[in-house]
Amino acid sequence: MGAHPQISDPVTAEPPVAREKLEAIFEDIRSHPVYDHEIHGCLNCGICTATCPSAHYYDYSPREIVQLLWTENLEGIYDAMQEKIWACAQCYTCAARCPFENSPGGLVMIMREVAIKHDMQSAKDVLRPFSRVLLKVISTGNQLAPNMITKEAFPDWGPNVSKVDAPLDILRKAIPMPTMHTLDTAWIVNLKTSVELYSIWEATGVLDQLETVDENLFDVVSDVMDEKREEWEDWLEEQEDDDDD
Amino acid sequence: MANDPKGPTGAYEGFGADWQPSNLTADQARRATDWVEQKIDKRAMLTSKQRKQDVRDIMWQLEKEGEILVHRVGDHNDPVMAKTLYGWDKKIPTNNLWHHKSCGQCGNIPGYPSSVLWLMNKLGTQYLDETDQTSCTAWNYHGSGIGNVVSLAAVFLRNFHQAYVSAKSQGLPEGTYFPLVHCGTSFGNYKEMRIFLMHSAELRAEVKKILGKLGRLVDGKLLIPEEIVHYSEWLHVSRDRLKEHQVVDVSGIRATVHPACHVYKMVPEDVIYDDTVLDGNRVAVTTGLLQTLGANVIDYSTWYDCCGFGFRHIIGEREFTRSFAIDRKIKVAVEEAKADVMVGHDTGCITTLDKNQWIGKAVDKVYALPVMADCQFAALALGAHPYKLAQLHWHASPFETLLEKMGIDWEKAKAEFESYLDEVKQGRIETLYDPKRAITSGPGYVKPKALAGGAE
Repeated sequence: MGAHPQISDPVTAEPPVAREKLEAIFEDIRSHPVYDHEIHGCLNCGICTATCPSAHYYDYSPREIVQLLWTENLEGIYDAMQEKIWACAQCYTCAARCPFENSPGGLVMIMREVAIKHDMQSAKDVLRPFSRVLLKVISTGNQLAPNMITKEAFPDWGPNVSKVDAPLDILRKAIPMPTMHTLDTAWIVNLKTSVELYSIWEATGVLDQLETVDENLFDVVSDVMDEKREEWEDWLEEQEDDDDD
Repeated sequence: MANDPKGPTGAYEGFGADWQPSNLTADQARRATDWVEQKIDKRAMLTSKQRKQDVRDIMWQLEKEGEILVHRVGDHNDPVMAKTLYGWDKKIPTNNLWHHKSCGQCGNIPGYPSSVLWLMNKLGTQYLDETDQTSCTAWNYHGSGIGNVVSLAAVFLRNFHQAYVSAKSQGLPEGTYFPLVHCGTSFGNYKEMRIFLMHSAELRAEVKKILGKLGRLVDGKLLIPEEIVHYSEWLHVSRDRLKEHQVVDVSGIRATVHPACHVYKMVPEDVIYDDTVLDGNRVAVTTGLLQTLGANVIDYSTWYDCCGFGFRHIIGEREFTRSFAIDRKIKVAVEEAKADVMVGHDTGCITTLDKNQWIGKAVDKVYALPVMADCQFAALALGAHPYKLAQLHWHASPFETLLEKMGIDWEKAKAEFESYLDEVKQGRIETLYDPKRAITSGPGYVKPKALAGGAE
């Protein structure tokens, strides 16, 4: 386990994490709009953990996550949010197998959201390698772009990023779908689409989440959004001018 | 993973502080494991049938009460009925389809969507592939926790609204095109969002407010799709028609199937099961197609395991991804099933299983197994060009060995493709449809003659 705030200290009686904070975190988890959809009870049967890929490799158990929440073990919940919840591979095998129809994977997502809301350092640390992807998805609506897949970015994928040696732009134009003749996004995204997406991010607090996790990234994304919106406004004005003519 | 899973306390690690060792004998442990494997090898999810409500019942009720509008699969979509996990009907549209693309496929495995479109051209299926769409953004959400139910639901209904109105750009009625979702995560996520939306008036109100501002309501109401359909379901119900066009014999091919978690484990009640495919015990898509094409589908013990993609792990913690992919999937398919190919139906799985073989050499786990999507395999069987159309050169795994077993001369095909690249450099590009159709509004949109009053 990496270094993170202790939740109990054998030397002093003073709790390093205030009870109020632990309660506030749990209250945010419990009041999440889909919390009651994801947890219904737990028999401790462990079939979720038996088929969990992450349990093979990490100190992680979906059964433990459900138990911590079901028994309202606030210290344990806080502890799990430091590292364990980020081990989950989000495959939902646990949910498909649970006789109570719990979704440990879904509960982990609620806990991740709450970890970000509470500005936990663990979330920032874990998401640092994710920043390139966050920039791409928030600013374009595409998670992945062809020019992100390079030998340098994925050295463990080996030399065969493409088995035909040609410039990337030519290889992309050789794909028989015109929407994919692009490098910066997986497909060409209509300008209006991007502008609509930004409105969704703003209205749903996604940009606030981004600012909490990475302020610099938030600034870059904001600049991209401003540019695209201006571009869209300019185009609309041009249309009005054409109509007037 | 260490050989001895017991930590310093003598307890097994990875199961939480209060876990107690069971002290089973080796025989007892084997029996317990057998029980778990039997449960997961069967259609164990049937046990939940009595407690499961069909969300479409709520949907129809909400429409009756005037709160939402349902985008129906119409007769013009040539629907084919399929049966899902509990024997419920699912209406699969087979014509006039709006391609909801996958960012991972288009960015990294372009032969995946191009194979789907090529197969549709073979069958004379009408479709629209356009630029007015975002990804579902759920890869990011599941990886990072950035996003939430409201943002995911708003993105879902924005994209599906665009599918509904898109035909107007061609002078056709709204609702002509029905969305066909390419990505497994989008498919699972959208189905979850539909459930949350149908159960929560508060969520509906929040999303309605946002979409109202975007002009994405129909008659002031949220537009909800009657069905959420994955391309593999279209392939499944079209498999007999596809077989009529088959030109390559695949009966000598030993194929393993990797069913995708977000396709069949998320909202499992909406997944197609077919008594003629593995006795109805497994999700039917892909396996049914391969069997129809005559391939030899081989079962293997870790069929239910995920691929190791992990959403966050494939980017930031790849040692987990590649270890799981090799140890639990590739190695088993090669050693146990003696597979010639692993065939899947989702973006992340194909990427993970295809790209994470080379690194195995570093730890003497040397496996070489071609990995591709079901639509690519089907396209090859129907005579598609392996490079120009199936775009296999983007795959890191050794697809060349599979092509040789299928009797396809990959060296000749590669040379043809390299010549074609010279044409591309000169601007002579072959496409599957008229590029003008891809832009339906905004900069670059060209009105069809009928709409422009013949002034075009």
